[in-house]
Amino acid sequence: MSVQAQSLPKMQDKSESGLLSWLMTVDHKRIGIMYLVTAFLFFLVGGTEALLMRLQLAQPNGKVLTPDQYNQIFTMHGTTMIFLVVMPLAAGFGNYFVPLLIGARDMAFPKLNALSYWTYLFAGIFMYSSFVFGGAPNDGWFSYAPLTEKLYSPTHGMDFWAMGILLLGIATTIGSINFIVTIIQLRAPGMTINRMPMFVWTTFVTSFLAVFSLPSLTTAVVLLLLDRQLGAHFYNVAQGGTALLWQHLFWFFGHPEVYILILPAMGMVSEIIPVFSGKPLFGYMAVAYSAVAIGFLGFTVWAHHMFATGMPATSLLFFSADSFLIGVPTGVKIFAWMGTMWKGKLRFSSAMLFAIGFVALFLIGGLDGVHMAVVPVDWQITDTYYVVAHIHYVLFGGAIFGIFGAIYYWFPKITGHRLQEGIGKWHFWIMFIGMNLVFMPMHFLGIAGMPRRIYTYGDGLGWGIWNFVETIGAFAIAISVLVFLINFFVSMRKPATHESDPWDGYTLEWTTSSPPPAYNFAEIPSVRSRRPVWDQKHPEMADWKVGE
Amino acid sequence: MNALTSPAHNHKVMTARIALLTALGTESVFFLTLIVAYIALRNQFNWPMEHTLSRLAFPLANSAVLILSALTAWRAQASISLGDQTGLKSWLLVTLLLGLFFVAGQVFDFTNAGLRINDQAFGGVFFTLMGFHALHVLAGVVILAMNSLRARLGDFTAEKHIAIEIGTYFWYYVTAVWIILFAALFLV
Repeated sequence: MSVQAQSLPKMQDKSESGLLSWLMTVDHKRIGIMYLVTAFLFFLVGGTEALLMRLQLAQPNGKVLTPDQYNQIFTMHGTTMIFLVVMPLAAGFGNYFVPLLIGARDMAFPKLNALSYWTYLFAGIFMYSSFVFGGAPNDGWFSYAPLTEKLYSPTHGMDFWAMGILLLGIATTIGSINFIVTIIQLRAPGMTINRMPMFVWTTFVTSFLAVFSLPSLTTAVVLLLLDRQLGAHFYNVAQGGTALLWQHLFWFFGHPEVYILILPAMGMVSEIIPVFSGKPLFGYMAVAYSAVAIGFLGFTVWAHHMFATGMPATSLLFFSADSFLIGVPTGVKIFAWMGTMWKGKLRFSSAMLFAIGFVALFLIGGLDGVHMAVVPVDWQITDTYYVVAHIHYVLFGGAIFGIFGAIYYWFPKITGHRLQEGIGKWHFWIMFIGMNLVFMPMHFLGIAGMPRRIYTYGDGLGWGIWNFVETIGAFAIAISVLVFLINFFVSMRKPATHESDPWDGYTLEWTTSSPPPAYNFAEIPSVRSRRPVWDQKHPEMADWKVGE
Repeated sequence: MNALTSPAHNHKVMTARIALLTALGTESVFFLTLIVAYIALRNQFNWPMEHTLSRLAFPLANSAVLILSALTAWRAQASISLGDQTGLKSWLLVTLLLGLFFVAGQVFDFTNAGLRINDQAFGGVFFTLMGFHALHVLAGVVILAMNSLRARLGDFTAEKHIAIEIGTYFWYYVTAVWIILFAALFLV
């Protein structure tokens, strides 16, 4: 049954299995798996928090949570999903697949790689321990000062938050430096920059964004900790501090962060769509360099999160126009994905469905973003549920759908088992419908004036019906995640097929066994085009012969 | 380059350099945002300039110590490039001691000026800029100490001394950052 596609020696000695070998490992694939599993567990926690919020808001004057519990839950939901779920899921796939995609045997610094995983795990547990030490942080994921100062947030929750964020920043920075060095230094012979797979490109750009934006968040939380712990006055206006400083520092990180979350998913989708369309990626150079453009522009638009803070008119104009500009490279990508599918031989596998779902939902989220770049519109809908709709269309409909696509696409490589296609389609459709049921009505509620972060609302406001629909949608999403878990266990119980190339893929990870041996490639491959595996399979019409 | 250095070693040197450059990039944004915070706070009311301008002599002398240590760090690297083990060990030690002297001077300067971290926003920003820079100098001292230890064990040769190179560049970096911070805190 289990026929190895390639005759590579398997990992044999006993020391390579067992718990200790996982604790001590510096193998990029094992670290990748640990990232993915840990982040998925946090995804279940963050999802449970979302369900609690939806239960509370299902009807007017809900009694499920107290106001204080509600504040803690929504703060931890946002913090978890951003820092403990989406970023590490992308880091997990990056760890596992970047070396395989570029034809390398490991990351440049395997020990640092392990360090960044363990720091991440510790920071996550540390933040969650705040629930038993006097209460979790309760000021929202962007923790605006001076609300977060000791005077207004006397519990230790904010201290746990700030120190956890510091640790996560360190973990991400180390990981990002590792990715940058790996991608610059360890590419297989012939893999020029402009032949790199798109997921490698986006991981590269994402790493630069992290390296140059996270220090701003570090500064912000360090100053906050000094205020809270040592009595400094950075955010205390009465003592010569400035309250807006936090917002500037936070969003100078926070906006690049949005692209740190979405770019890896864009890379995953750019791997999946070409393979299941039977065509090379349309407009490779445009897709690659639009990611670079998004990266650069991402650093210049932070104050569009602050239109309501009373900025001078020139600043409003600049940040508004600049934010529109980001629509251009993003639109380039959308057209490139559509161009790839155009006249292709489409195979609607679960991975492909999630990738197409990504394109559709991200487009809606992106258009919402353009609405809010219009200053007067933003003044109307800022801090309403419209913003919540926007962020979830890009980060759930975008990032999470892209990541589920990647899970279906790369699962056979990691485990040697394919996920069941039939169950996968149930997973996709339930999640797709549930997602739209939750987040589409948030647009209507936002325009109707429902503020975000309120723990309940009155009877006569007319918000009850849409909130009820949203709660039903949230449980549909929960069911779809259950379907995925069932798929996981059903698939793992079937005998492994160890297909090295289940999807007729293009990139180097499909040339080695599934799962790959510890050293990845018996022989370092050499590359002559953007689709090295296509070239191997079709030597008569190899890309490097017919021109890229 | 030397005929004895292999392509594999050159690749390792390049890998270390790129990693260092990226790490210094992220450090630079950190210091930059601290300076931005400083400028933002300066524009608030009640900025007590007399704390700084009236007492320029000590900070100036202490800065000279750090700049001197950059020169001795450079001598250490130059020594090992010529295979001079004794030169490497002694210049590393001198650099290390100058670094510690500088940090002690910074602590003395801050307390001697009568500043406290909770003296309005001003004390806080002074404390933060000087403190984080001093922490970086201490990190540099730890790197130098490890390098000194390895130098005593004979780990470095004229061809292979990546750690010395990285330690020296880091030391140049903390010196350069201090020159900028000194100008921002005491001169502008």
